[in-house]
Amino acid sequence: MKKILIQGVITIALFFATWFLLIQIDWVAIFKIQKVTDETEEKIGELFWDMTQSTENENNSPLVKNTMDSLVTKICLENKIERKLIKIHVLDKDEINAFALPNGHLIIYSGLISNSDNQEELCGVISHEIAHIRLNHVIKKLVSEIGLSVLISITTGNGNSEAIKAALKMLSSTAFDRSLEKEADIKAVDYLIKAKINPEPFANFLFKLSDKENEEAKYLTWISTHPDSKERANYIIEYSRNKKVKFEAIIANSTWSKIKEKLKE
Amino acid sequence: MINVIKFAYQPGEHEAEKASNSYLMSLIAIIAGLPLPIINLIATIIFYLGNRKGTFFVRWHCTQALLSQLSIFFINSFGFWWTVSIIFTDEIITSKYIAYLITALIFNLIEFITTIYTAIQIRKGIHVSWWFYGHLTNLICKSGS
Repeated sequence: MKKILIQGVITIALFFATWFLLIQIDWVAIFKIQKVTDETEEKIGELFWDMTQSTENENNSPLVKNTMDSLVTKICLENKIERKLIKIHVLDKDEINAFALPNGHLIIYSGLISNSDNQEELCGVISHEIAHIRLNHVIKKLVSEIGLSVLISITTGNGNSEAIKAALKMLSSTAFDRSLEKEADIKAVDYLIKAKINPEPFANFLFKLSDKENEEAKYLTWISTHPDSKERANYIIEYSRNKKVKFEAIIANSTWSKIKEKLKE
Repeated sequence: MINVIKFAYQPGEHEAEKASNSYLMSLIAIIAGLPLPIINLIATIIFYLGNRKGTFFVRWHCTQALLSQLSIFFINSFGFWWTVSIIFTDEIITSKYIAYLITALIFNLIEFITTIYTAIQIRKGIHVSWWFYGHLTNLICKSGS
């Protein structure tokens, strides 16, 4: 009996020892898995953006573009995020919505800017979407919703435009998992604090939109895809409570007003 | 790893064929079962159940084949579900995962080669007892029962 036990333990130990030894090798680098993943994401991102660009109106006003660039640059710079990884685009649409596409494309609807009372609210939403990008939520969601095989077939050119459209619709109008949303919210608060932007307006923005929810639900895409706005606003306030920082505005209030005027035209 | 020892009696031609088949059963199951680990086990269990009233030699080898399949089943199942979680959930491919797959492959390969060797020897009527599994089979499989 003792012999069997010893032999059994040795067999199991042998298995784990082999595994442990093999773990010491960086297989991910050897098989270039990260590179393949990055290339796939790049291709998908470009395909999605091309499709969006061909179906929607991009706002190319220098004032809007430069202002958005200033906001994103500040957030990226203070959080050591490579600026060129985030590609911001403003689309002329009345809906209050913003979403991230693969390869760092961040889409903002003009309706979101018009309905933000101040730059801090908008920065909150931008930070939240940047967090989704940086935490790799976009690809994770695509893989879990449409499957790796469909994604790869899209990149190899076998995917039809219907598949791309369906995936795009899913990214722009459905929520991430609850846990991923919370993770992005908390990360967004970290980004805001580091960029010396007050996170409280971001929480207020969620409160405000959740109150509006019933009146104009069809324009509130961002809020309908991000459920439990009040709960989110509460934990954002709770998380940012003890972080005392001197907040600074990124753009002048006059510029902010000009943008809102411009978008009303 | 493998011991060639004298069995309690010299098995007849028919017995040797049947006992050898129990390994062939797990061998075929290994090929079909690599992506779906449960197939190995089911095939071997069915063969084991079909022969549990056979002679001592046949029963002994069916049991050894079944026991070895059982451990491979655990190894492969873990790898299988890990792969499923990578495809369908947030899980990503890590060096730990690849190392596990390689380890599982090595153990499957050892089992595969040992099984072929054993099946051939058993067919000739030579009794082969595996490291650990042989002793375990001695515990479970008694000649009188």
